[in-house]
Amino acid sequence: MDKLLTFSDVELYYDNVHALKGVSLDMDEGETVALIGANGAGKSSVLRAITGLKRIRSGEIVYQGERIDAREPDEIVRMGIAMVPEGRRVFPYMSVKDNLLMGAFTRIDRTGITATLDMVLDRFPRLKERYSQAAGTMSGGEQQMLVIGRALMARPRLLLLDEPSLGLAPKLVQAIARSIVAINRDAKVSVLLVEQNSRMALRISQRAYALSTGRIALSGRSSEILNDERVRHLYLGGEL
Amino acid sequence: MAQVIANGVYLGAQYALIALGLTLIFALMNVLNFAHGQMYVLGGFITYTAYGQLGLPFIVALLASGVTLGVIGALIEKLLFRTVIRRSVREESTMLLAAAVAYFLDAVILLLFGEKQRGVPKIVNGVFVSDALIMPYDRLLIGALAVLFIGAFMLFMQFSKPGRAMRALAQDRVAAQLMGVRVDRYSMIGFALGAMLAGVVGGLLVAITGVNSGIGGPISIKAFLMVMIGGAGVVGGAIAGGFILGMIESVGLSVLHAYGDITYLVIFAALMVFLSIRPNGLMGKPWG
Repeated sequence: MDKLLTFSDVELYYDNVHALKGVSLDMDEGETVALIGANGAGKSSVLRAITGLKRIRSGEIVYQGERIDAREPDEIVRMGIAMVPEGRRVFPYMSVKDNLLMGAFTRIDRTGITATLDMVLDRFPRLKERYSQAAGTMSGGEQQMLVIGRALMARPRLLLLDEPSLGLAPKLVQAIARSIVAINRDAKVSVLLVEQNSRMALRISQRAYALSTGRIALSGRSSEILNDERVRHLYLGGEL
Repeated sequence: MAQVIANGVYLGAQYALIALGLTLIFALMNVLNFAHGQMYVLGGFITYTAYGQLGLPFIVALLASGVTLGVIGALIEKLLFRTVIRRSVREESTMLLAAAVAYFLDAVILLLFGEKQRGVPKIVNGVFVSDALIMPYDRLLIGALAVLFIGAFMLFMQFSKPGRAMRALAQDRVAAQLMGVRVDRYSMIGFALGAMLAGVVGGLLVAITGVNSGIGGPISIKAFLMVMIGGAGVVGGAIAGGFILGMIESVGLSVLHAYGDITYLVIFAALMVFLSIRPNGLMGKPWG
């Protein structure tokens, strides 16, 4: 069976900084895959390479059987890949409504957009309450819900999430984690989750890759990694 | 008093329309378009030619100004600014390019239309007279048209899909790209729209004050004044800046008139003090 997404031997540089050193990974349709590792390990570079924001130097990225590593960001969105960027990045002076509509920017099916909008508002009732408010005036947790909702507006097949728990209180992290599980399960969206909060990421994913200074250091089933003594020590610190 | 306010509103509406174009280009591309005044002058001459010389209806002439400038703006963005922005790592490069475009347009305008002050026949005759107010009908009409265009522009930015895309691009470039907004396409649309606004105001004002090839520079300076007062890159700021400058000018001309031609001296002095207190203008966000 064809993989949903495959990285083969991907190299990526920022000027002279070698950010990805021959990264290979893959994911199946319907999976939630976690990408964990320390700050600067290259997790976000993987996502930037998929979305077309950053060109890779060599290697291949294949999505649904097609090479996508030379495509523009708008083509990637049209192919069904939506991204929730790190640090949330709402459009701060736009209303919640306009932020969500921006998520559907590449779509032209008016009735379909309305249906997705209703679905997103059902999933995050908080956004309905704030519908006309400027996004920049909302709390961090609300903004995180908004950017996830905004990404869902594109009706993606693959959802990329970059550090969705960053800067949120533990209770909100729980809520966001539950939403991600629900989106994966109910909406049949495959999820690639980049997290520094490894514990949360491993709990809600089926498989995981651990990056260390631009290389895949470890991969496997999330539940096994979560219980591995050695990994606990390396990636999960003292928090367990 | 009512007279001063009416003059201020009339002037302010034109100014706001000029400032909107300038601030749109700045917000989308971080480009300070020094050629904005020259685009205004070109728009004026096109309306002069179409309405004054060829005898076409004023609205058609206005449309011709807008469309021509829109096309010129799109070409300037695509052929000049896009290449420079892609290749240059220094932001000053686009400023130098904008200044070059300004001088180039100045030369073209001088070559095509000469150095004479040009006016057109009145678009409507008669004067509105009441106890407090004397206002020629053509000024009322031009003022109303300017307000109409401001309204149309704001509705377009607020409710249309391209308008929303341009606001998104101005607020967070990367996030907008991730939504599928193509930066180069919308930079071109924005630049064309900004140039179009400049051309339309030039066409509007040719009916009142006429046009001559030398006023491009001063108009650019006024546009920058308004944007500095209101705050760069903010729609509300441009409109506020336009009406504030129009009002100050109107008040200045009637109050300070007795002391000679010092209105702009006072405006510049006041602006320096104002900017030292609020460097980002009334509604501006800090740059970067």
